[in-house]
Amino acid sequence: MASQRKRSKGESLTLRYLILGGWALFCLAPVLWFLSIGLRPRIEIITPQPIYIPSFSLDAWHMIWDDWPMAAYLRNSVAAIIGSVIIDLVLAIPAAYSLARFRYRGRDDIGFYILSTRMMAPAIVAVPIFFLFRNLGLLDTIWALMLIYAAINLSFVTWIIRSYMLDIPKELEDAAKTDGAGEIRILWEIIIPAVLPGIITASVIAMIFAINEFLFTLLIASTPDAYTMSVALSNFTGGSDGVIYNAIALVAFLAFVPVFLVVVAIQKHLSRGLTMGAVKG
Amino acid sequence: MSNSSLPASGAATAAPGNSARPAFKRRSKRLKAALPYLLVAPAVLYLLLITLYPGVYAIIQSFHQVKFGPWRPIGLGNYEKLLTDYQFWGALWNTLVIGSISLVLQCVLALALAFYAYRDPWVKGWRIIFLIPMLFMPSAVAFIYKLFFLDGRVFADILMKLGLVDGNIAFQSSIWMSRVILILADVWQWTPFLFIIFVAGLQGQDEEVEEAARLDGASWYAIFWNISLPMMKPIIAVALILRAIDITTMFTNVFIITKGGPAFGTETISYFIYRTGFKFFNFGYASAASVIMLIITILVAQLVVKRAFVSSRS
Repeated sequence: MASQRKRSKGESLTLRYLILGGWALFCLAPVLWFLSIGLRPRIEIITPQPIYIPSFSLDAWHMIWDDWPMAAYLRNSVAAIIGSVIIDLVLAIPAAYSLARFRYRGRDDIGFYILSTRMMAPAIVAVPIFFLFRNLGLLDTIWALMLIYAAINLSFVTWIIRSYMLDIPKELEDAAKTDGAGEIRILWEIIIPAVLPGIITASVIAMIFAINEFLFTLLIASTPDAYTMSVALSNFTGGSDGVIYNAIALVAFLAFVPVFLVVVAIQKHLSRGLTMGAVKG
Repeated sequence: MSNSSLPASGAATAAPGNSARPAFKRRSKRLKAALPYLLVAPAVLYLLLITLYPGVYAIIQSFHQVKFGPWRPIGLGNYEKLLTDYQFWGALWNTLVIGSISLVLQCVLALALAFYAYRDPWVKGWRIIFLIPMLFMPSAVAFIYKLFFLDGRVFADILMKLGLVDGNIAFQSSIWMSRVILILADVWQWTPFLFIIFVAGLQGQDEEVEEAARLDGASWYAIFWNISLPMMKPIIAVALILRAIDITTMFTNVFIITKGGPAFGTETISYFIYRTGFKFFNFGYASAASVIMLIITILVAQLVVKRAFVSSRS
C-alpha cells in the first residue's frame, strides 16, 4: 500500500475535500433517505407532498415476516448462493491450476474461452436456458438457480484464482516435486493454501453477483419455492396496494449489511478481484 | 481424454510379468500429458453446456416461428423482419446511447475521484464510503430511483421548494428524462467499481517517478496527464471493458423503473429480447435477435477484449 504522498504544486486541499466530500454526500444521501423509507409507516411513503421528517415505525419489519414469505426468500437466496459458490470452486480450482501452472497446446484459447463467457448477455441465452430448465423439470427450483449462478460466475472465479496461482514461486512446487509429491497432492497441500486469499476474494465476488442476479431468477422462479430476495423485491407490488416501498427498503438493507461487512473484510483484495486479477491492488 | 489411457492399461494386463512396469510407466506418462486437460475439462464442459447449447438452440429456433404450439420453419423470416423492425433498431440505439453516456460519465468521475483520493491520508475511509452504492442489490437501487423521481415525486418537490420549477415534472412522459434516470442510477451505483480499480492502479504507480517529477516543479495536472494516465492505460482498458459489458446488458433498471417506455425510448436490447420472448411469447423472433447479439458479442470479444486482456497480463 502506498504511503502518504506529498501534495503537488498547484493542488488545493479545499478543492480536494470539496470534491471527495461532495461525492460522499451523493453516495450516502439516497441511502439514508431510503433507510428512512424502510422505517416509516406505509401511509407516509406515497403522499401528495413528500414527507421529509417521517414518524418512526416498524410496519415494514412486521410486514415482511408476517405477510410475506421472507424466511423462504432468505433461505432460497442463501441456499442458491452457497450451492453455486461450491460448484464454482470445485470446477474453478482445478481449471485455474491447469491454466496457471501447465504449458500445453490450446491453453490460452481455453483460458480465453472461459473468460469470454463473462461477455455473454444474460438475455441472449435467456430463452434457451428457460427451455433447458423446463425440459429438465427444474423450473421454479433453487437447483436451477444454483446451476445458473455457478455458470455466470465461473469465468470470474477461475480467472481470479488463476491470477493468484501465477504469483506462487515455481521453486515451492519444484521442492515438493523432488520430494516425490504428485501434481494433485501439490495442488491440495501447497497451491490451495497459498492462494486462499484469492479463493476467498473470488467467493465473495461470486456471492455478490449471485445476490444481485435478476433476469434468470425472474424467468426461473415463479413461486416462493425459488424467489430470491433480489426478485422478491419486484413482487412487493401489486393490486391496489401499489409498490410497497417500506418493505422493499428494509429487505434491501437486510441484504446490504452482510455484503458490506464481508467486502470490508476483503477490501485489500477487492480491486484485484473485480478486474479478474488484471490489477494487483 | 480418459479413454486415451485405456488401451495402455489393457496392454499391461495382456502382457504379464516384466512388461507390466514399462506399460505402467507409459500409461502414467500419457496421464501426465492429459492431466492439464483433465483438470480444465469439467469447467469447460460446464460452460459449453450453458453457452454452446443455448447458442445452437437459439440458432435453430431462430429459423422457426415459435409461438404457442409446434415450431413452424420459416427460413430467414425472423431475420428479415428484424432488419426492418424499428423497435429492434431502436433498442440497439437506446442501448448504445444510454450505455455510452453512462460509461463516459462513470469513467471521468471515477478518474477524478481516484486522482483526488489516492494521495489522501483517509483514502481507506473514502473507499469504504464510495463503495456503499455498489453493494446494494441492483433491483433495490432501481426502486430507490423509481421512488425518488417517479412514484414519490421527491425530486420535483425539492426543485419546487428551491423555486426552480412551478409544478410537477412528468418524467415518465419524456424519453430523455427517463433515460437520464437510468443513467443516473447506473452512475450512482457503478462509478465506485471504476473508482476502486483506478485507486489501486494509481497507488501501484512508481512513487519515485512521481516524486522526481514533483521536485522538478511539475504541476499536479502535468503529473496526472504525463505520468499517471499513460501508466494507467491498460488498467483503464480492462476496467472499462468489464463495465461496458454490464452496461450494454442493462436489464434490471429498465424492468423496474421504465419498462422500456415512454414510446420504447428506454428499451434496451436485453429488455427487447425479454419482452419479445416472455411477454409476447414470440420465442423464434426473440431467438433471432439473440443470435444477432451473439454474433456482435463474439466479434467484440475477439477484436477488442482479447487484445486488452492478453496485453494487460503480458
